[in-house]
Amino acid sequence: MATTNITLVVNGIKHELTVDDKETLMQVLRDRLHLTGTKNACSYGACGACTVVMDNEAVKSCLIKPAKYDGKTVLTIEGLSDGFDLHPIQQAFIQAGAVQCGYCTPGYIMSLYALFNKNLNATDEEIKEVLEEHICRCTGYEFIWDAAKLAQKMLQGK
Amino acid sequence: MDNKHIGKSLLRTDAYEKVKGQATYVADIKLPGMLHAKILRSEYAHARIISIDTSEAENMPGVRKVVTGQDCKILFGACIKDQPPLAVDKVRHAGEGVAAVIAETERQAEEATKKIRVEYKPLPFVTDPLEAFKKNAPVIHERNIEYNRVSGFNPKEGTNIFHHYKQIKGDAEIGFNESDVIVEEEFFYPLLSHVQMEPHGCIACWDSEDSVRIWASTQAPFIVREIVGHMFCIPFSNIIVNAPYLGGGFGGKSDVSIEPMVAYISRFVPHHPVRLILTRKEAFTSSLLGRGMKGRIKVGAKKDGKLIALKASFYYSDGAYGDTGCNVVTATGFVATGPYEYEHCDIDCYGLYTNTPPVGAYRGYGHPEAHLMSERIMNILARKLNIPQAELMRKNFLSDGKTNAVGQIIRKGNGDLHKCLDEIESALFNKPKPAEDENYYYGRGIAGFMKTPMMLPNASSGAIIKMCEDGTFNVSISGIEMGQGCQTAMTQIAAEALMLPTEKIRISKEVDTQFSPYEWQTVGSITTLRAGNAILQAAERAIQKIKESVAMIAHKPVEDLKYEGEWMYSKSDKNFAFETKLLALSFLSPDGHGVGEPIETTGHYYIPGVKFPAPEIGGGDCCGSWTFGCEGAEVKVSKKTGEVTVTHLAIAIDLGRLINPMGARVQMVGGMMMGYGAALMEEILFNEKGFIKNSNYNQYKIPRLSDLPEKLTVKFVETPDETGPFGARCIAEHPAISIPPAILNAIQDATEIDLFEIPVKPKELLAKIGGANNGNN
Repeated sequence: MATTNITLVVNGIKHELTVDDKETLMQVLRDRLHLTGTKNACSYGACGACTVVMDNEAVKSCLIKPAKYDGKTVLTIEGLSDGFDLHPIQQAFIQAGAVQCGYCTPGYIMSLYALFNKNLNATDEEIKEVLEEHICRCTGYEFIWDAAKLAQKMLQGK
Repeated sequence: MDNKHIGKSLLRTDAYEKVKGQATYVADIKLPGMLHAKILRSEYAHARIISIDTSEAENMPGVRKVVTGQDCKILFGACIKDQPPLAVDKVRHAGEGVAAVIAETERQAEEATKKIRVEYKPLPFVTDPLEAFKKNAPVIHERNIEYNRVSGFNPKEGTNIFHHYKQIKGDAEIGFNESDVIVEEEFFYPLLSHVQMEPHGCIACWDSEDSVRIWASTQAPFIVREIVGHMFCIPFSNIIVNAPYLGGGFGGKSDVSIEPMVAYISRFVPHHPVRLILTRKEAFTSSLLGRGMKGRIKVGAKKDGKLIALKASFYYSDGAYGDTGCNVVTATGFVATGPYEYEHCDIDCYGLYTNTPPVGAYRGYGHPEAHLMSERIMNILARKLNIPQAELMRKNFLSDGKTNAVGQIIRKGNGDLHKCLDEIESALFNKPKPAEDENYYYGRGIAGFMKTPMMLPNASSGAIIKMCEDGTFNVSISGIEMGQGCQTAMTQIAAEALMLPTEKIRISKEVDTQFSPYEWQTVGSITTLRAGNAILQAAERAIQKIKESVAMIAHKPVEDLKYEGEWMYSKSDKNFAFETKLLALSFLSPDGHGVGEPIETTGHYYIPGVKFPAPEIGGGDCCGSWTFGCEGAEVKVSKKTGEVTVTHLAIAIDLGRLINPMGARVQMVGGMMMGYGAALMEEILFNEKGFIKNSNYNQYKIPRLSDLPEKLTVKFVETPDETGPFGARCIAEHPAISIPPAILNAIQDATEIDLFEIPVKPKELLAKIGGANNGNN
């Protein structure tokens, strides 16, 4: 199996790794770096559970091959907030009651982080477009929508 | 009663670790020496296995062991022992496990499975329940009647019928003769996948010949223990099943699914944990499916709308193995009437072997299938009688003193359907229906529901309460937190009972069969009722113990003491106050001797008086608890495409007592959206070879945010149930039950087209509308 040497900065820590050519970013994060907050639910980019932020863009880490993540900076759910603290988006998910089984939660939070980082005044349509990429089987989405709106307000300082 | 915690929206106690990415699910667990398994799966829906050649696979890099079902004599099951851990002499569904490779890495295991050569002799197969019922159908289990089974399950020799449940009340023939109006229709509820976000996973490690540790994505760690114990004839006490957080269950992780297979294959590599995590595709093809019913219903009524007689038959495509489906079949018989009283009932429910993945529990457990028929037929009958459907429903609702199909007399404390229907009517009909316009037909539909938890008569829940030195409490239950919010609700119940702030209560976060109290399984929406009552008993015992200790220490009679959480007071002595935390480890007196016992108690609960259904005619006191409610839908149907847009979903449920408003609402909305998916989107499809052809998220579509209706109504009616904690009853599965019939009734209201199948197919609906219009012209 062909292998490549890559470097990758994850949550501020630099890693030098030898990966095989099929090894996805999700596998590197979960299996090598033990960052299991990034969830695997489909492995083909349909559900959004494995979403992380790479060079400021939300990506489905299960689809990202070594050539695409070599040299990149990645933020996962584990790196979103320091220590015991919560990021406002995490806080909003708790307060709005948007968490049930929790398996889809980190992916949603990372997608919204990337969105609001780029455009804190994203329109409802833009927020909906991002959330549409994700599947949640528990909540029926009402409270996830509420959480996204609450997070935006909190980040805007309202 | 004035409650501090019950009825308040306590934020979820598990949310912090979930939003931080710290909550641990099975796939996140890494153990020393762990090996990885991949399964070679059948390419045929039904075939004899002629030979399996594993020699090449065994020599692949990293491979520790290749296991097949050859020579395996084990058949497992809780009610019907009909399933081998790996296929033995034949495969019964496409996707069934034929061989397992255990290797150093998942990739190595997968590569090696490709080198296994299997020779099959294909056999005729069947996936449709009515086809499977036919006399000349291919027989899937030749030994059908020979399997070990518990009593109450009735197979028919030489057929695919592994269970026939009959439910009789009165004499249906007489009833139909007395009826003025009779309607009869056939219905189809397809097979569905639960599509929990977390695919099934299991790790097993044999520590010695008779002891094994298992980590599983399961709603039922104690059932896993029981089944593994029977499989290998080892002491149950040596089987340690650990259930970490569960990424969704919906019934698809109840009973057992992949755990027996992982327990079986890991025995070939003792002292190594063996890990199997299903792919999404395997979750579709090789775990459990739900529903899969074809049925016929006939009802008779008097001119004034009084229901007289019901005859219903249900045929379930239960897949390759019957153990997980057999009780769904029976439960359907309990509720075939919907929430109405009929004097005469004749109900037949058949569980059929078919060449699909095994079918098991799926949110509602036979109730959604039954209600698709009962609530559609009420809509049809109402029109035939020229009575509004709501009036017909009200006239026949099960209520205080009425007798249901199983022969139980309904109590006031079972809930109030009339109030629920009032709520739905005012939510849906508070303004006139929009008039048909250029683009859309508009319609509104209603449906009732009732639900009972299916269970063993002695199915119990336990609770353990331990006071810590600082006066905080550890409370252990074995209800699995799979998203429904039981940890939060149990925190509120424990805090209320112990008269403490919720911060002083810590509910156990994972379940381990060696430490946690017994729990039959987390199914039937019953955790609040059963584990809640167990906590109340344990708390009562803890308070009693605290009182007895204080009585000894302070030389006061127990009756004089008043427990108020952190402090114990005296009724007669205003100046007396004793800090209860001093008793946690037993009281250490100033002179250094101990008084009383540490504050550590247990509680248990099972619903008293529940029995197995009566043989031959079914029924009796076989249902332990009832919950009633109504649902509604508003739709618009595109004149151009036939597409159905749901603009409003509504539920009113009599939940006895609201424990956590926010938690209950998210359960209701999530359940209604699951019903929405079933009504409009979801269906397992097979290709000509009997393979599931839509075994992925791109083809098996489930609701996304854009499907959420503009309007949602969630109403809670509170008629306390005297058997529930603080009056609460079961509610979790319920919102998924009657959304499909409510939507179909709304479509009828919009288009005058009666549909009998789900999911609704826009093209077919459009063609029917066109046909009806042409007919009218």
